[in-house]
Amino acid sequence: MVGDVLIQASALPAIVFLLPMLVGTMMFFVPGMGRAAQQWVSVLSAALVTGLGVWMASRILTGVVLTTWNRELRVDALSALMVVIIGAIGLLASLYSVRYLSARMAENTTLRRMRIFHGLLMWFFGTMLWGCVTNNVIMLYVAIEATTLTSGLLVAFYWDRRALEAGYKYLMLLTIGITFALFGCVLLYAGAAATGKLAGASALLISDIRNVASFIPGRTAAITIAFLVIGFGTKAGIAPFHPWLPDAHAEAPTPISVLLSGVMIKMALYAMARTVSIFYLPWPQITVFLVVLGTFTMLLGIILAMTQDDLKRLLAYSSVSQMGYVLVGIGLGTYLGCYGGLYHLLNHALYKSLLFMCVGAVIYATGVRRIAELGGIRKQMPITSACFLLGAVAIAGFPPLNGFWSKLTVYMALASAGMWWAAIIAILTSVLTIVVMLRVGYRVFWGEPRSSVPSTLAAREVPALMWVPMVALAAMCVLLGIWPQGPYPLLDRAAKALATLGR
Amino acid sequence: MNLGALHTSLIETLSLTLVITSVAAVEMRRLKFSIVAYLCQALLIVGLLLSFAAVNTALYWWAATAFVTKAILTPWFLFRALRGVDDHELKPVIGFGPSAVIAALLMLSFFHLTHGRGAFLAPTELGQLGVFRTNLAVASTVFALGLYAVLTRRDAIKAVIGLCLLENGVHLSLVSLAPGLSETALFGIATEVVVTVFLLLYVIEGVRREFGSTDTFRLRELKW
Repeated sequence: MVGDVLIQASALPAIVFLLPMLVGTMMFFVPGMGRAAQQWVSVLSAALVTGLGVWMASRILTGVVLTTWNRELRVDALSALMVVIIGAIGLLASLYSVRYLSARMAENTTLRRMRIFHGLLMWFFGTMLWGCVTNNVIMLYVAIEATTLTSGLLVAFYWDRRALEAGYKYLMLLTIGITFALFGCVLLYAGAAATGKLAGASALLISDIRNVASFIPGRTAAITIAFLVIGFGTKAGIAPFHPWLPDAHAEAPTPISVLLSGVMIKMALYAMARTVSIFYLPWPQITVFLVVLGTFTMLLGIILAMTQDDLKRLLAYSSVSQMGYVLVGIGLGTYLGCYGGLYHLLNHALYKSLLFMCVGAVIYATGVRRIAELGGIRKQMPITSACFLLGAVAIAGFPPLNGFWSKLTVYMALASAGMWWAAIIAILTSVLTIVVMLRVGYRVFWGEPRSSVPSTLAAREVPALMWVPMVALAAMCVLLGIWPQGPYPLLDRAAKALATLGR
Repeated sequence: MNLGALHTSLIETLSLTLVITSVAAVEMRRLKFSIVAYLCQALLIVGLLLSFAAVNTALYWWAATAFVTKAILTPWFLFRALRGVDDHELKPVIGFGPSAVIAALLMLSFFHLTHGRGAFLAPTELGQLGVFRTNLAVASTVFALGLYAVLTRRDAIKAVIGLCLLENGVHLSLVSLAPGLSETALFGIATEVVVTVFLLLYVIEGVRREFGSTDTFRLRELKW
């Protein structure tokens, strides 16, 4: 239980998501706003959101919870963590998109749709933030469905055969999936209202539903949890609901892939954690179910990643696998598990964004994304190669880097909960991840140059606006590796907000 | 017959007609007829919401929202997507005969479920009333038929109609499950359905240009 936290009224939770929404709206309706202006306004708003997120986090560290609009919006440590991650990755992705998209401008009709790109990007950004700050269980669904709608056209942005197919599947599958989450949210509300302990609208507030969870009858709870897991799990890329993910993540423009893989699937998992963790205390059995689902996801994801010949699809399947770790950690319900899960969520946001950016740089420089057609471009692209290697080592969980610490925490949590079989599967997946990532890194950047594809021989290092975000992310991976206690104060409070089972 | 019984039988008749329009929307081979069936269903939902509003006055708002989003905007978008193209649906995976049997079985099982142990699906006091249980059974049937259409129809436009049915089912279930929902939440849910339909049809228009048809079986570029 959250217990006695000091609630403080503040407009920050509202500003943080309304700002990008308004900026996005402005981009649609202010004519004559040049592309350069749109780009830099996007970067600036993302920077402002990051700043606001850090400000909220620093206030929360003094022991308060920020609420506004009659507690409709509520930011605790967990929400603040998500806002900071979304802000930071959004900032780097929009910086990266400045040059990345310019390259595609000449090729096709991209220019015409370029006008809507930044507007949709800002809306996408705003709806993700909204989902993280809202405390209303129905609005949580509305926000998550809104992230699908705002990103749908971004996924299909290139408007060719592959992109259209990915966009159609993305919109169709996610809308159906998330409808299950709506049923789950509505049942959660109906169940809480039926306990008769919450007056009127407060049965809609997640923070209040937590307090009456043990009064919700068992069968209602079971069906609610099933719907929530299917619904939010689809959006979070949890197997077996993941088939939309590799298509969308691979066919979207790389800055959008970064946002989809780096933050969007994580905020869906955040929604699942928020709602399902309500039932941890009265129904601890569900933690076993979630751990089984998580281990299945991590193993299936990495096995499918092994069979890929497309760089972006490989990374997308690796994201599925990594979401398994986060789900296992959070699903365990203990303090250590939640800490490890959230820590892994943060780390994965950093290195998966880094890896997608590196692969985007390779595509930018060579125009090729099939692994078989690439080889030995280390000499032409030293910075990208170094960043990719660092990201690969981090995702594989080698000791001095950040991935090692969060994976270790998850293993320890599993072991102390007595789930040795899950710990063994997690370690096995980690070994497979090392094989997959290092093999790809070796073939693409080291290996023999492929003279069959002339564009790979003429490749050059990407412009500074693209490698600066990559280097920044790589530096963060190293920093969190040698200073893992850095995010402790925030993660500690965030984990306590979720963990209700024994410590 | 007293007024209350008349009210109940009116609601039950409307509910059953809803299932028939769903089956029609799924089974019609001409997409335009399918949309008309969908339009009829949307109007029936509005009528149903109005008749429920006698019990719960907040539902007048819901009826207005449903009318604008489901009976005006969605059919308009759908008709616009069919303008100037052949509206004969591509042959579905499962034909009419088996589909009708499946629809009947779905209906029966949902009635059995909600009238037997409905308490766990609709834990509210209002949800225990007979009419609301019937409504929940119908809502689940419409939802399941929509899902069935999405899964078994090849034509992308038909899949969108299936999606609309699915969302109608959700909307109907809210009457029984969450009658105390605020207007903003409801407005959010209803608007998103319309935006989804609009975006999907926009993407499908692109698919038609690139692939030459709206056959989802041809979307085979991406595997594994």
